[in-house]
Amino acid sequence: MSLEPRDETDHRAWMQERDLSPIEEGYLYGLMYLDKRLRIVDYLELMEDMYYKINLQMPKSHTEQYNLDNKFWYWYPLYSLGFFSIIAYIVAAVTGGILGFYYSPSTAEHPEYTYVAYAHVAQTIMIDLNFGSFLRSLHRWSAQIMTAAVFLHMLRVYFTGAYKEPRELNWLLGIVLISLTMVFGYTGYLLPWSQLSYWAGQIGVEMALSIPLIGEWTAQLVFGGFTLGEPTIQRMYILHVFILPFVVTALIAIHVGIVWMQGIAEPH
Amino acid sequence: MTERDHTEDVRTDGGEPQTDGGESEGGAGLPANVPPDDQTPTWHDRKARTQGLSRLTYEYFERARYEDQVLRQESDYVERDVLAFPTWPHETIRNLAITSFFLGMMFFVAAALPPHLPDPADPSNTPPVILPDWYLYWSFGLLHLDPINPNLAILGGDKIVSDRVYGVLANLVVVGFIAIVPFLNKGSARRPVEEPFWGALGVAGIVFAITIAIVPIQNIVAEFIAIMTIDLLFALSFILPVVAFFIAYAVLKTMQEGYMYELNKRYYRLRPPR
Repeated sequence: MSLEPRDETDHRAWMQERDLSPIEEGYLYGLMYLDKRLRIVDYLELMEDMYYKINLQMPKSHTEQYNLDNKFWYWYPLYSLGFFSIIAYIVAAVTGGILGFYYSPSTAEHPEYTYVAYAHVAQTIMIDLNFGSFLRSLHRWSAQIMTAAVFLHMLRVYFTGAYKEPRELNWLLGIVLISLTMVFGYTGYLLPWSQLSYWAGQIGVEMALSIPLIGEWTAQLVFGGFTLGEPTIQRMYILHVFILPFVVTALIAIHVGIVWMQGIAEPH
Repeated sequence: MTERDHTEDVRTDGGEPQTDGGESEGGAGLPANVPPDDQTPTWHDRKARTQGLSRLTYEYFERARYEDQVLRQESDYVERDVLAFPTWPHETIRNLAITSFFLGMMFFVAAALPPHLPDPADPSNTPPVILPDWYLYWSFGLLHLDPINPNLAILGGDKIVSDRVYGVLANLVVVGFIAIVPFLNKGSARRPVEEPFWGALGVAGIVFAITIAIVPIQNIVAEFIAIMTIDLLFALSFILPVVAFFIAYAVLKTMQEGYMYELNKRYYRLRPPR
């Protein structure tokens, strides 16, 4: 008579001898099913390791060490400006996505409103669409609020010295982000193709043309020519709804990731 | 094997040989490309044997880890598993409250103040005032620095760069200066009172952003205010920031002594010098 060698890989038997709740059992079945196919346990280990390295074993925070809680909470509104701008960014993204259904970037002739793009804003969105006027208002206001919050956020960082070593690189990233925010606002400003949009675009073309050596090339690339027209509004549209959202979202993620890693610089 | 015995430096991988579990079968039956297990290099050995840049990287990481370990051991900070408040419920509820407040504010403003939609674009009709959105006023103002674009006598009174290029350069200079601030101002000071110069510089920057924004519309402003001329307004847009700098500097210097005393008192009470 011989003893059967214990099968270490018989997970079912192992589960039988444990007293598991239905939730635990379902979780384990799912985990085993996926692990058999995708080897996810290896990656889970990596992620667990990363999670602990990020979250655990941090030294006592500066505010606690020096009993600065009162000071910190007193100034808390200023410390939530970055978060505020992210919320405004999300609201602008959601409303902008909906507005995009009812807009087309075209300077083609329109009998009533001169341009098709303007007609889409003035008629389709602001009159025909239910809550369209509110949607546009919300999109515009969230964009304004995001820009304002980003500026104030920069001032807060400056006056609390939060840009100092080891946070210089994040400050530089912040400069890039605030510039891209303004480009976001500028490209959106041109999209209704109203009188203000047109002349703001005119200033943009002139600025691009005044760059030494590569001025004409820049004007061609960004505005699609030296005079405003169909190519301009299409380029502004693609910048506003395709290129900038991906770039800015990725940079915001890195910006916040670095803050998470380095911790918030409290005043002392 | 011998190499492992010689190494004295710190290890972070445990130093155990990482074998494939074939120990019990003996050396004879193994395929030729699997070394006997007592000769199998550990990961530590593999890393230690590398050459050139990867060797340098390995050595630096070992040193950095050791340094970190020593710092942690010497630290009188309390080592804990979790930093600050628990995420749930404290942080989460507070964040939800702030988020709903911000969202509510945005919806209220959007509902109460719908934006104006101007007439459709008309290339043949230049509006009397051309302005970008408010957040670009400072940049637009910097494009209107023609009066201080120097004209050189060497060039027969010609300007060395055109006014437009000068404006774009001014933008680059301002943004460039803001970008290098962390490389100019170092140290651990965090409050404006600790560094009156940099605090005052920030105040001057804010005032300059406002005054330079008025430059493109100075003819309109001059009409409304009787004693103003365009030249005076232009001069003021550079004088006011300097005035603001000195006022802010004086205020911060005055505040400094009392403020620093408070700071130091708290510092010494909580962490007496050893």
